[in-house]
Amino acid sequence: MPANMWTSAVAFAIALGFSGAAMAQTPACEPDKLAEKYPGLVGKTVKFGADPQTPPYTMRDGTDFDKVIGADTDLARAVFECHGIPYEIFLGGWSGLLPATISGQIDVFWNNLYYTAERAKQVDYVLYMQAGTGALTQAGNPKSIDDITAMCGATAAAGLGTVEEAALKDQDGKCTADGKPGVTVMSYPDLAAGIRLVQTGRADILMSDLALVQSLAIENPETYAVAFKILTGFTIGAGVKNGNDELLQAIYDGLVAVQAAGKQVEIFETYKIDPDLIVAAEVRKD
Amino acid sequence: MQTWLRRIATLFGMAFIVALVLTGCGPDAGRQTTSTLGDLAAGGSITSGGPPPFIVEMWGYFLSPFLWQGAWIALKITTVAMAIGLLLGLGLALMRLSGFWMVRSTAWFYIWVIRGTPQLLQLVFLFDALPELGIRLDSITTAIIGFALNEAAFSAEIIRGGILSVNRNQSIAADSLGMGKFLTLRRIILPQAMRAILPGVFNDTIGMLKLTSIASIIFVNELTFRAQQIVGQNFRFFTVFIAAGLIYLVMTSAISLLQSWLEQRYDLEADRTKRKDAGPLARLTGGFLFSPARPAGSSNEAPASDEAPAVAATSVARQLDETWLARIATADDIVAPVGTPFVVARNVQKSYGDRQVLAGIDLTVNRGECVVILGPSGSGKSTFLRMINHLEGLDWGEIRVDGQTVGYDYAGGRPKAVAGLAGAKARARIGMVFQSFNLFGHLTALENVVEAPVRVHGTSPADAEKLGQELLASVGLGNHTAHLPHRLSGGQQQRVAIARALAIKPRLMLFDEPTSALDPELVGEVLTVMRRLAAAGMTMVVVTHEIRFARDVADRVIFMDEGNIVEQGPPEQVIDAPQHERTRRFLRMVGQVETGEEKA
Repeated sequence: MPANMWTSAVAFAIALGFSGAAMAQTPACEPDKLAEKYPGLVGKTVKFGADPQTPPYTMRDGTDFDKVIGADTDLARAVFECHGIPYEIFLGGWSGLLPATISGQIDVFWNNLYYTAERAKQVDYVLYMQAGTGALTQAGNPKSIDDITAMCGATAAAGLGTVEEAALKDQDGKCTADGKPGVTVMSYPDLAAGIRLVQTGRADILMSDLALVQSLAIENPETYAVAFKILTGFTIGAGVKNGNDELLQAIYDGLVAVQAAGKQVEIFETYKIDPDLIVAAEVRKD
Repeated sequence: MQTWLRRIATLFGMAFIVALVLTGCGPDAGRQTTSTLGDLAAGGSITSGGPPPFIVEMWGYFLSPFLWQGAWIALKITTVAMAIGLLLGLGLALMRLSGFWMVRSTAWFYIWVIRGTPQLLQLVFLFDALPELGIRLDSITTAIIGFALNEAAFSAEIIRGGILSVNRNQSIAADSLGMGKFLTLRRIILPQAMRAILPGVFNDTIGMLKLTSIASIIFVNELTFRAQQIVGQNFRFFTVFIAAGLIYLVMTSAISLLQSWLEQRYDLEADRTKRKDAGPLARLTGGFLFSPARPAGSSNEAPASDEAPAVAATSVARQLDETWLARIATADDIVAPVGTPFVVARNVQKSYGDRQVLAGIDLTVNRGECVVILGPSGSGKSTFLRMINHLEGLDWGEIRVDGQTVGYDYAGGRPKAVAGLAGAKARARIGMVFQSFNLFGHLTALENVVEAPVRVHGTSPADAEKLGQELLASVGLGNHTAHLPHRLSGGQQQRVAIARALAIKPRLMLFDEPTSALDPELVGEVLTVMRRLAAAGMTMVVVTHEIRFARDVADRVIFMDEGNIVEQGPPEQVIDAPQHERTRRFLRMVGQVETGEEKA
């Protein structure tokens, strides 16, 4: 117990330090002052990792596949450019991003990464948006599913190993316990495969990230609709390996400046993400 | 086979032309035709007129540099990883075949671990766990290493299977010629194992090319991952995946063509005279050193003797050159004078497990003598013969040839094989002819003959080829120099085998039942050659059932039974007036089945 108290005390002190610094000078975009503000980052190219199959966060530009775009990617670019920090995007499968961050193969995991206490043991976060779960269905919501509790007897798709998959299995158990037909859960390995399930009618519902589901429905009103949404209370942030405090601070400062300039709202609107999901930048360790 | 290849090539050519025509069709053709998410998800038409939009769109993706860059990455990883993997796999296969328990089990353990764990986890481990040890590899390097380590385990088993599929007699023959283990592997075993190895290895290659997509977890952006990214952006999975599939098909077709070409190269049935210029790979792995289509010496500065092409052209079997044989028989480097002890065996013992095969043989063969060993099956006569040139190791006792042991060290009291055994065997220059011929199956008659002179004794290829031509002509095979062994009759094969043994200018010739595997009408032609050898003064030890040959040619006949010499002496004594009942019984039985050599 004393050890835990000490840890808390140290964390508090660090948090105070951060807020103190924030109070002392409001973060601003000053690319010329990189050496002065973050001397440890001079001459360093920051590698941030993302999975380009996760629209609208990270994806390929439809007009030029060599370009990577998306809300997360554009936000990361804005933050690093704000400080004049050179950066490089590492594109890989989502499930490989966290191990790569922890091992130091990449510096930042910036791609729809939910904050969980478990992950926070290994990475420090700068949070910038709220997460929600959206249920995607066919246009017109043919089965009139408007809530997760109305899903008994339906077929639903979710990403393998995601919180949505767990929620669906949980609901399946509840349905059967009530003597109703259960939820048939189809787990998909990549999002496009999941969306095909809805497109072809093999699944009634796809449960995934809210922003993604919303942007899909807005972009393709003839094909898809949002059946319902759940605000899960999860927050999304950029992940930095524990102990890399200078980079963490730079990302935090950059986000504060970018948010203050209204840039994040602009980016979210570009990708048809509800700006209400934005939260004020916040460092969270453990 | 070649017609088939031509057809495939034509098909590809036509497909390519059709493709080019299609490319020129729609106004958007050749460009990436997606615009916005909304556009395409709504299924809007991309072109007006021309071929169906579906085809044009797919073709656009097929030509997309973005996808082809991914294909190139996949191909690069596959090529490098296969090359490294095969080398490691060969090493592992040899380790698996090793006589040392520790070496064998190390290889087994490696294969067990690598084959038994998911490759995805191996890649993540290499990429993300090694940095903890201070080894930081980039994505492509990690992928190459990961796939190579994996392929090593799988190809090791394929290669081991290939090596085991080659008849053991091939390496015994190479051993008798003084070829070392590595040389035998490179020149004799692997070229023949290739037929069994290639299909499996190419399966692995194609599998690997397609499996590189799992490396997306370590940030490798290859073809499938790129296709998924496009689909993740615009959800046009049908056209994108078909295009990606076609790109894969193009690459795997190229790999299949390479496989066909290589299989043809290593096909023993193929007509060798059509293969004119072998590539460096083929030269390295054996079998293509001498082009049969090229007249002897034509590409070498060494003066081609006038008679060489003439010899090859003539169909008249020339008599074995007795002057040449006499020259070998009286070579300067033989210490023992003619008529004095040349092969001296003392108390030679050998057991296989509990069964004693030789119970202490004492035997002396004088220089220039022709000794025939008779005896029933299992009497140990072949084993004894193979111990003279150290194809079998001695358990106890010693055998000296011209005063020297063949690759034994007696420092510890017991006979122990020396480290440079192959060299010792080569220096001993003992020629051996086997019951089942044991010609190298992938080499022509001439190549069989010149292999040891060139590779073991360092004779220049031109000289060796000239000698080979002469030797083959001498045994009546001047017209068959370019034929592979399976195209020759048994008698012809055995005569090539004798020529091959003679090509190392042997000081001693061993014959292990040289006519037992022959049809009766072919026995004579081989015995005729052997007679001439004996007449030229060659020292010979012959294990045979040919009583007539023994009577006519042998200076001395030895009868063995149950690991002992029962009796020995001049043929007229042992064959016509045997002292022992066991000898008499054996001769009576053999006499009933003896084949007549006068048919030759």
